[in-house]
Amino acid sequence: MDDLAQSVLVQWRVNGVLHELDVLPGLSLLDVLREQLNLTGTHMGCMTGHCGACTVMIDGRIAKSCIAQAATLPRAEIRTIEGLMGPDGRLSPVQQAFWDEAGFQCGYCAPGMLFSAIELLAETPDPTDAEIDSALAGSLCRCTGYQSLRRAVRAAARALKDPNPD
Amino acid sequence: MSLYPSFARPRTLADAATLLASLASGGVVIAGGQELMPSINQGVLAPEVYVDIGGLAELRGITETPEGRVGIGALTVHRELQTDPRVRAQLPLLAHAATRAGGGRQVHNRGTIGGNLVAQHPLYDIAPPLLALEAEVEWVKGRETVRQPLAAMLADSRHGLGSEAILTRVLVVPMADGLGWAYEKLKASGGAYGSANAAALVKLKEGRVAAVRLVVGAVADRLIDASEAAAALLVGRRFDAEAGAALAGAVSALVAAPLSDAQGPGPWRQAMAGVVAQRALAAAVARAGRG
Repeated sequence: MDDLAQSVLVQWRVNGVLHELDVLPGLSLLDVLREQLNLTGTHMGCMTGHCGACTVMIDGRIAKSCIAQAATLPRAEIRTIEGLMGPDGRLSPVQQAFWDEAGFQCGYCAPGMLFSAIELLAETPDPTDAEIDSALAGSLCRCTGYQSLRRAVRAAARALKDPNPD
Repeated sequence: MSLYPSFARPRTLADAATLLASLASGGVVIAGGQELMPSINQGVLAPEVYVDIGGLAELRGITETPEGRVGIGALTVHRELQTDPRVRAQLPLLAHAATRAGGGRQVHNRGTIGGNLVAQHPLYDIAPPLLALEAEVEWVKGRETVRQPLAAMLADSRHGLGSEAILTRVLVVPMADGLGWAYEKLKASGGAYGSANAAALVKLKEGRVAAVRLVVGAVADRLIDASEAAAALLVGRRFDAEAGAALAGAVSALVAAPLSDAQGPGPWRQAMAGVVAQRALAAAVARAGRG
């Protein structure tokens, strides 16, 4: 029988870097990323799992970090928005497409929109508009910029299919 | 008792059940956290002890049981329900309904079938199809393993299990070939929740309804099993516009105390219960006719 613990040791590889952390029961992954690892690109929005601004990748699948309890992830591979750019500091193809198409206005929703697009395009390289809408459904944009978001995902799909159009 | 919550991650189901039994009311089971964490973040819930069942291999996997049912481990996430070949082939109604759940891919990737059912949330999308499919649930409490119809669990406001129990598996008879099915979710806005939803199964014989199951959700605090009312109206008939209108009226009449919330006012929800029932039946009949 396991004892009841007041804090839990977790081992996470975050954007390629191994961390061993003591986390308190009840805290969200979002809390730990922002407060203990200073990775503030993962945004705090609603804290109820509706808005998607806190989206990260856990073991290769996108998730809302505000409703993932940190202690329930004893070992995990975590990727945050800080881990999207290349080692040379260049934007990833999906980020670049959102930049080129002015996909964001304020950018608060960026983690949700970018990770949702990345997961969609990994599975569905040539998505329909309906598939794009469905893939972005877990993330809210309050600048009401859904047209530009959709345009950015289409551009990202083209960029991933043909990385060097010139 | 401590001011701060404590945490355990049992390695076996037996350990988890023993621990929960020893904690009385202070223990809360957590897995994906998609249902629990919003309440914790908002301060609505402050568990003294978390029992993390996410590591229990016994609760994983989608298998065929010796008696020919589809056994779905409680830790199965919505995304697996959408994509698993066995669920798609044998329980297409469930696979489809899982795609309509709210929260987006992020939540589909982590939210479990067990958490969805135990939440007993009237607006959720997994219980209506499973109730239409007459699913059973299996749960463990202390050393006892219990199996009961999902309908019995849903009829109990303490989710039929009590705080010491762990839902382990959902058992469903595979859908027969030629069975028509549909899940209709009416969303008044782009939000995650439906204003009314309906799961329908229909068997046709020479173009006439031979058997029907119909469950309506998101319109009252409990799901409404409208199967008897639907059978009384439809069995032996062709499902035409007249039959559809009669069904809509009968289903709306079953909604004694409609919900009135952000998803819409009560009288409208009552009317929409009939509308989604009619649409679901029509789609299920069309699918059965094609099969």
